[in-house]
Amino acid sequence: MNESTTVIGERTTINGNLEGDEDLVVHGRVEGGISLKHTLTIEPTGVVVAEVQVRNAVVSGVMAGNITAEDAVHITAQGRMIGDIRAPRVIIVDGASFRGSVDMGDLDMPRSSGSADDALRPAPVAARRVPQAISTGKSAVQKEDGEEAVAPKPKPASRPKPAAKRKPAPKSKPAPKRKPAAKGGSARKPSAPAKSKSKPKKGGSKKKAPAPRAPSVGRRKKARKR
Amino acid sequence: MAHTVIGGSIVIDGEVTGEEALVIQGTVKGRISLQEQLVVEESGVVEADIETQNVDVSGKVTGNILASEKVEISSGGRMVGDIKAPRILIADGAIFKGNVDMDV
Repeated sequence: MNESTTVIGERTTINGNLEGDEDLVVHGRVEGGISLKHTLTIEPTGVVVAEVQVRNAVVSGVMAGNITAEDAVHITAQGRMIGDIRAPRVIIVDGASFRGSVDMGDLDMPRSSGSADDALRPAPVAARRVPQAISTGKSAVQKEDGEEAVAPKPKPASRPKPAAKRKPAPKSKPAPKRKPAAKGGSARKPSAPAKSKSKPKKGGSKKKAPAPRAPSVGRRKKARKR
Repeated sequence: MAHTVIGGSIVIDGEVTGEEALVIQGTVKGRISLQEQLVVEESGVVEADIETQNVDVSGKVTGNILASEKVEISSGGRMVGDIKAPRILIADGAIFKGNVDMDV
């Protein structure tokens, strides 16, 4: 009805459930449960020991209990909270004390997806190429080390280079085995083993390599795909 | 003067205690224990036992009142319950049903 504000004075204690359709400012003490459709403000002298379900919460006092907010939870520099926060927006200012878990729920946002890499990376890994699969394996190890966010992202971009270098390595190994079979081919083959180690780094995977080594290349590709 | 205001759309189900004045525009069920003045405004609904210093009823009160000073029921007030206070004022138009004990 009237958009007034309920004020719990500093020397007032409410022990029970409190629900309403307006703002609530707590200077005193509330124990039990709070359910509002608007904003709960806990002033520096306020103490709330309750399960809170509101739209917004601003904690400048003491809060012990879980907060579920539709909009935002704001813990100011004087705020002290123990409990879990479930809200799409959470603001914790420098100087605030907080202990509990934070669940922002909506993971569709790009930022939250960045911080939830552990859960979301397996999906993009499957969509990416195979060589990058190896690189993401490394990134998984780095995740275990505790590194998150931006750091792993540029790494997969740089990784294809060492992956490309790996390709020629297996090529060079089977090459000498197939020398006798490929003797009938081009004359460069006897020199190929000597230079195969160097050439494939650059042109081995590009120019001459694919021609004589077509069947082996195909096999190798299959092996890598595995 | 610091005091607590319970807004019109607020429903409290429990116990309210305090050392300061309380103004009720909403609904309170349970128990109220104050050391100062309690004012129940026209939109206020109280279903509780009240123990306080002063009570000013302009709304609806269902419960017993124990006041150390005065109980006043104004013309818009409606009360069902017992009153125990040294001073009582019931205005014309007020609705009251219950016992009155002024020997405190």
